[in-house]
Amino acid sequence: MHTPTGFGPRLQSLSLVLPGLVVFTVGLVIPMVIGLYYSFTSWDGFTPELPWVGLDNYLKMLGDENVRNAWGFTLAFTVLNTIVQNGLALLFAVILDSGIRAKKLFRTILFLPCLIAPLVAGYIWARMYMDLNFMLFGNGDTVLMGLLIVNNWQWVGYWMLIYLAGLQSIPPELYEAAQVDGAPRWTQFRRIGAPRWTQFRRIPLPMLAPSITIGVVGITVGSLRVYDLIVSATGGGPGRSSMSIIYQIYNTAFSGKQYGYGSAISVTLIALLMLIAVVQLRVLRRREVQQ
Amino acid sequence: MKKTGTLERWALHAFMVVVALAILTPVAMVVNTSFKTKKELYTANPLDLPQNWQLDNYTAAFQKLHMETTFVNTVLYTVVSVLILGFLSAASAWVIARNRGRFYKATYLYFITGLLVPFQALFLPIYIIGFQLHLTNTAYGIVLMYVATGLPFGVFLMTSFMTTVPLELEEAAKMDGCSVYRTFFQVVLPLLQPAVATLVILQAFGIWNDYLLASLYVSETRLKTLTVFLQQLFSSTARDYGTAMAAIVISTLPIVALFVSLQKYFIKGLAAGAVKG
Repeated sequence: MHTPTGFGPRLQSLSLVLPGLVVFTVGLVIPMVIGLYYSFTSWDGFTPELPWVGLDNYLKMLGDENVRNAWGFTLAFTVLNTIVQNGLALLFAVILDSGIRAKKLFRTILFLPCLIAPLVAGYIWARMYMDLNFMLFGNGDTVLMGLLIVNNWQWVGYWMLIYLAGLQSIPPELYEAAQVDGAPRWTQFRRIGAPRWTQFRRIPLPMLAPSITIGVVGITVGSLRVYDLIVSATGGGPGRSSMSIIYQIYNTAFSGKQYGYGSAISVTLIALLMLIAVVQLRVLRRREVQQ
Repeated sequence: MKKTGTLERWALHAFMVVVALAILTPVAMVVNTSFKTKKELYTANPLDLPQNWQLDNYTAAFQKLHMETTFVNTVLYTVVSVLILGFLSAASAWVIARNRGRFYKATYLYFITGLLVPFQALFLPIYIIGFQLHLTNTAYGIVLMYVATGLPFGVFLMTSFMTTVPLELEEAAKMDGCSVYRTFFQVVLPLLQPAVATLVILQAFGIWNDYLLASLYVSETRLKTLTVFLQQLFSSTARDYGTAMAAIVISTLPIVALFVSLQKYFIKGLAAGAVKG
């Protein structure tokens, strides 16, 4: 059959996928490759020469106290956030799924803060801590806690929706008491507060495993890349006590004019993110095999 | 038995009310502060309500935010990026899902690798390539970057949605001699509408609220976005909190309005992403 435009169906198909491929390659893949290349140079970002320094940047990083400090803060923020945010999100999801009144209203209120730009959230809370004379951002020992509160306020509702979707995708038959009798008590969520006829229905924790994987990975990755919030809430301070790794890269490249070195720090972050993705894939695969 | 059940129900509802109030407190304080005069900000208790609800801060914020430029820019970047993103994701996903062969499978995997690395981790080379290709300080440059960084998720979401689109209509179109383009635009794209809507909404929030890319890509005032200007407003007029809080309300309201009107698609989209994993 002849096509009216004159090119064959294969070429037409190709022409539909090509623009996306080009944009993606230019905007994301090439930057990844050039970033890796810059990490082996001592480029300052301005001069045309790119002096090759091999692994020097990576070796320098090992002894750089500022980088170590930024990693320390970022990892502490990530680990605590992952634990607290998943816990709270799951708790609120279970409560909202238990047949509570005004479920939609609560869901909307909990979700509302994530519509606010993280940059704006930082300003709002910095001002509020001041107004309430609760100066968590003023002290290096409490700044992490202050930021965790803001981040949880913003994102718990989002992850709660993910868990809620997970809970609602569990087939109702699986709530039957008989089916979960064998499982240890702590792995089951009773539908607390549900009407009497559902009082004894419990959800086995393994049924939520896909949502938990998404929650853990999503919050981990989201916390590792924290930047906007820190810019507005604390500016990395007091001192350098809340300097995140992205902020450190930003300062190294733009204020310190060390693009090569900044790129090397980026590469370590990307390596960590890739590692997390590989582990996630493994976990998902293993689960598929089990089923 | 019944009694403990009722008690539990009461406790749960009370708990959720407390949580909801705690979550709304910062929002309430922003709105409250935005109506106060400068004098009230320094003399009165921050928790007091304003004496009279005046709009001076809002008129000041409109001017200081350069709303006629920043608002238009933000809307423009968000709408154009999200439409191109929806179209390119749908087109790529359709071709990938309906063609067999190694090339298409590899294309899918190529796009999906982008999901592994969030763009924030790549901001430095993204800035450098933009600078070298003269994309910085242009409207199309920043749109291109929003599209590029959103494509991996877009292709992923659309490809998983393609399995629910019936083949029969497309086959009928082919039998009738429709070109690939016509089949896509007239038969497939209308069927993909719910998925495109979901994608558009999910991405619109990220782009509207973005600070990192916008601050890197545009330094000229005529191209700046609301978040970038808000950041400036806060660092330059540190003492004028009433105006700053009014600016926050103004810049957040549009996205809240979008959410409220399209909540259904938004929640569905999150659920679809969550269940597929």
